[in-house]
Amino acid sequence: MARSSSGALCLLCFAVVAFGCAENDDSNWIDEPGRCADFDELRQVYWGDTHIHTNLSFDANMQGTRTTPEDAYRFARGNTISLQPYNEDGTPTRMAQIDRPLDFVMLSDHAEFLGALKVCNDPSSAGYDADDCEDYRAAQEFNADPGVVRGVFIKFNVLLSFLPEETGYPALCGPGDAYCLEAGMDVWGGVVDAAQAAYDRSNRCQLTTFAGYEWSGNPGSANLHRNVMFKNENVTELPYNYFDEPYAEGLWDRLREECVDADTGCEVLTIPHNSNISEGVYFENRMANGEPFTGEYVEARNAMEPVIEVYQHKGASECLPGSATADELCGFEIIPFSNIAWTNLEVITPPDPKGFLRVAYGEGMKHEANLGTNPFQYGITAATDTHISAPGFVAEDDFKGHGGAGQPNRFLPPPQGFPDIEYLSPGGLTAVWAEENARDAIFSAIRRKETFGTSGPRILVRMFGGWDYPSELCNADDLDAQGYEGGVPMGGTLGPQPGSTSPMFVVSAKQDAAGAPLQRIQIVKGWLDGDAYEVTVYDVAGDENNGATINLATCVTGGTDSADLCAVWQDPAFDSTQRAYYYARVLENPTCRWTTWQCSEAEYDCNDWDFEACKALKAMEVPHSNYTCDCCDPAIGLNPGACEDVSCDDPGLRSEAEERCCHPVEPAIQERAWTSPIWYQPPG
Amino acid sequence: MLRPLLHFFLIGGLLFAAKAVYERGHSEGPRIIVRIPAEANPAEVERSIREAILLREVRRYGWDRTDPIVYTHLVRNMRFIEPDTPDDDLVLFQRAVEMNMHAHDPVVRARLLYRAGEALAYVPEDQVPSREELEAHRQAHRDRFEREGRVRFQQVFLSRSKRGDALAGDAREMQERLSELGDARPSGLGDPLPGLRTEQSTTPSDVKISYGLDLWRVFEEPVTGVWRGPISSVYGLHFVKVIDTEPAYVPPLEIIGAEVRADRLREIREELRKERMAALREAYRVQIETVP
Repeated sequence: MARSSSGALCLLCFAVVAFGCAENDDSNWIDEPGRCADFDELRQVYWGDTHIHTNLSFDANMQGTRTTPEDAYRFARGNTISLQPYNEDGTPTRMAQIDRPLDFVMLSDHAEFLGALKVCNDPSSAGYDADDCEDYRAAQEFNADPGVVRGVFIKFNVLLSFLPEETGYPALCGPGDAYCLEAGMDVWGGVVDAAQAAYDRSNRCQLTTFAGYEWSGNPGSANLHRNVMFKNENVTELPYNYFDEPYAEGLWDRLREECVDADTGCEVLTIPHNSNISEGVYFENRMANGEPFTGEYVEARNAMEPVIEVYQHKGASECLPGSATADELCGFEIIPFSNIAWTNLEVITPPDPKGFLRVAYGEGMKHEANLGTNPFQYGITAATDTHISAPGFVAEDDFKGHGGAGQPNRFLPPPQGFPDIEYLSPGGLTAVWAEENARDAIFSAIRRKETFGTSGPRILVRMFGGWDYPSELCNADDLDAQGYEGGVPMGGTLGPQPGSTSPMFVVSAKQDAAGAPLQRIQIVKGWLDGDAYEVTVYDVAGDENNGATINLATCVTGGTDSADLCAVWQDPAFDSTQRAYYYARVLENPTCRWTTWQCSEAEYDCNDWDFEACKALKAMEVPHSNYTCDCCDPAIGLNPGACEDVSCDDPGLRSEAEERCCHPVEPAIQERAWTSPIWYQPPG
Repeated sequence: MLRPLLHFFLIGGLLFAAKAVYERGHSEGPRIIVRIPAEANPAEVERSIREAILLREVRRYGWDRTDPIVYTHLVRNMRFIEPDTPDDDLVLFQRAVEMNMHAHDPVVRARLLYRAGEALAYVPEDQVPSREELEAHRQAHRDRFEREGRVRFQQVFLSRSKRGDALAGDAREMQERLSELGDARPSGLGDPLPGLRTEQSTTPSDVKISYGLDLWRVFEEPVTGVWRGPISSVYGLHFVKVIDTEPAYVPPLEIIGAEVRADRLREIREELRKERMAALREAYRVQIETVP
């Protein structure tokens, strides 16, 4: 049964029919393709964020986030919102504003506790005075003990770490989980209605909103989270979560039955993310019943999951340094945690390379060779995963922490040092190539994977693959028209070509007008050779040694500029019998990471730094950090003296401080864009 | 002087709303004593007063005795205190009330305050905005609903990275060519750049995002039909000719009705909450007792 927002409106109309409700709204409005003034059949780029949490998410709520879905939409339009911590009279101590509005947004509050939060906050609910709700409300008190808050946070969230056979709604949900199911349905209706109200239906098409939520299963703390994205207001009646459907297959089945096949105008897809903290199981060849993939399974996964988040607040999932498919630039925003619990608790544990995308792409080609369909033929997106209702808040020089698995900033005083765990970061943006900024066009672009992700800057990149593009295509003012006519855009698939020619790719990029110049464009090629998969990275435009400089004390950059780069490139090692993929990676010149930005603006003195004293401060329930502690930490890369005599190759015992020397963040980062791959399928 | 007192009545068994302001038969409203800790700050004092008034109001209507959640909770309390009692729920509830449990239990208090809060913000049917009111709201708050104007323009771009030191000279040549172009489109002139069209229609804000402030400023001046430039951006030099403009506008209600209604209802709820609370606050004579 699909829920229709217009149906809900009609119920309201019965209630207020005497006041002419049906005439008050825009319920007769139809979202017709081509309605936007900037419609362009050759497609334009639109910027968005599809991973946002508000006060409807349990973790964000416990961390003091008070901002609502409506606030998140206001933020996306460029308005200022308030941030925790709040004073006792409710005034915020911090504010946030995006530097440039977004074009599209999907809120993705955790579905698991949508109902429970309402039950515990609504005294009309039968579960209101359940013990868990009383604990929750005690933890919500202004003067609550931070240790108690932490305990309640874990008490609820641990249900997401239970194995599928053991998990379930909390007891407060009552017999048959009825209280939470009913309340969850109600909250979900509000989420859909909020998205409806915020969707710009005028021909200016300034903001496109999508209804969505996050399915948040992490059995054994291995992150298997997925965002569920609906194309329009025709959605499923319930936001199916880990308690309802503890396996991804179950989720897809429900979505197929109650949305895709329901003949209600409902369309849906799911977006996997944070495979980097999945203990390597995200792409494991195992179905819910423990058996290896079947043809039916790989088809379902391919159909339901067209894209994946390559990067967000909790790190990048492209490739792991030191692994077989890595290159020298895989170190960007790698977090040193193997699962979501260790991330939250900041326990350094080596990530598993099997949780990274290049391995998935390789394994996917193997499945395709065996089963006929690639279950991991993902296009690329990126997101913030903000838990402070701040979509697209990605500026490295204005990072206020995103909460969630990161540092909560609920209690006064406002953070006196870093506002987040040092290994986490502001996250990125998704860009789509679409005809207009409307639901049909944006959703279709994601469905066909004509998308790319960036680490935050609005680096614009276009890529096409074909067989006989002219070598001078970069100079053509109709590159896009020729690109479509002679091949496929990013996310597409090239079939076999008679003869012995190699595929050609054109990649054109321009820097963010408010960002750093570009250093180079790379094409990452992966291919399947028998049962083995390989990766080679080619520099196709720009120059690694372009003379760019950066001063880490001031974050001032210098050197030569490349504001735009373009290349037509032909694979020099093509084998027409081998499956392959090609994606572009566009790199900026080095700029300061957020930690370095904050240290460049702070006063700190590493002569006063005492690791043990700082550790003790950090261990307090309300972290009383400061910039000397944070900036001099060996992991931040700004206190090289602390690591002078440390050998990370030495397998011997290291102190905790020395260990942090071996897991540093990059003080200067190369922001980047990753395109969706273009795939090559050999004959047969 | 007669003081107004807000009178509540139940709607649907769940909510109450301000129905009428009536004048009492005597000059002074009800007196309430609010006990406040000595160290309380002004915000805490005000909150305590508000809560005391609301609790008194909801109790005046007997919600502390009729609310199903209060009933269930107090019965549960009694069964905890008297685990072996043979009495039924109703008897236990009555005993809880006799023990004045309904006046002191923190869950009951929270429940009653919640209902009071909902009631304060309740929008009665006669205040649900009509189409005419929504239209008036749309007109009165054009800034909230206004869509940015658009500009249709032609553009020729010279890439700094492609032309290097020749950029300035090339720009002078291009300026001359464009001055001779008349009304013809500048097809084939200049360099390509991802996303750039020879002619496009967009908003000045999008121009700022795509090309930076200098180009955006050009569109602030209402000059059409002439080539302007070169204008510098991080990418190089731009020449632009504005063809026409569409002013900012507020879409009609048929298109943005949901947006307008959500905005107006948010306002109405806030107005009602403030008005009703202020009326209650004015009606009551509050006496503060400081407690240690």
